[in-house]
Amino acid sequence: MSLFDTTQLSLEAAMRGSSLRQTLLTDNLANVNTPGYQRKDVDFHAELASAMETGSSMESVAFSPSTDASRTVRADGSAIDADQESAELAKNALEYQALVSVAGSRTTIIQTAMGVR
Amino acid sequence: MGLFDAIDVAGSGLAAERLRMDVTAGNLANAQTTQGADGQPYRRREVVLQEAQAGGQSFGSMLASASASPVNGVQVAGIVEDPAAPRRVYDPGHPDADAQGYVSLPNVNPVTEMVDLIGASRTYEANVTAMQAAKQLFSKTLELLR
Repeated sequence: MSLFDTTQLSLEAAMRGSSLRQTLLTDNLANVNTPGYQRKDVDFHAELASAMETGSSMESVAFSPSTDASRTVRADGSAIDADQESAELAKNALEYQALVSVAGSRTTIIQTAMGVR
Repeated sequence: MGLFDAIDVAGSGLAAERLRMDVTAGNLANAQTTQGADGQPYRRREVVLQEAQAGGQSFGSMLASASASPVNGVQVAGIVEDPAAPRRVYDPGHPDADAQGYVSLPNVNPVTEMVDLIGASRTYEANVTAMQAAKQLFSKTLELLR
């Protein structure tokens, strides 16, 4: 049995996905006034869930960002709603912090078991 | 994808919005300028933004294009002049009045400029918030090491 179980590896994979999503949402916000810009996002929840179903290794999950060409909301062709992106950014940041807290406390448990502290 | 991508992207947004504010402020300052650089009335300028392209000459951008990161931020495509005709105002006493007594004033509408200014400053704030969020996430991750 390895030191880090599937839950720990999944948490780390989710942190990778959430960090990528944070960058993509920031990119959307930076391009809010760019004509013809198409919104980017990544559904890392779905990709993690399908990796869990197929039983593939959590460390090798690769997240692929998608571009949403279907929505056009403004006359200049930019499909970004700044308020919506800010809300998503705040939600994603909270989720990331939750993931880090859980991963951190699980590491502490292992450290205690090993007698590190 | 690097750890600080989100901060770099928000930084490119800050630079772009700051330039928009600068150009809008220039338009407002020149709202009554009848003699521009070419002797013609000042023309309203506007910033055109585009999605930043990976593949510049710097090491960082080459690394980014090699790792196929889809995230590049925003960059300025150029500053274009508004082709709209100048405002014609009847003012025979003005030194730049033509034979009919009309003066050509810049095609700057202060109300449009103020709205642009508010838009740019709101987007600037949004980018600052995104940068702060990213910074908070990274410091939270670093706390794992303690």
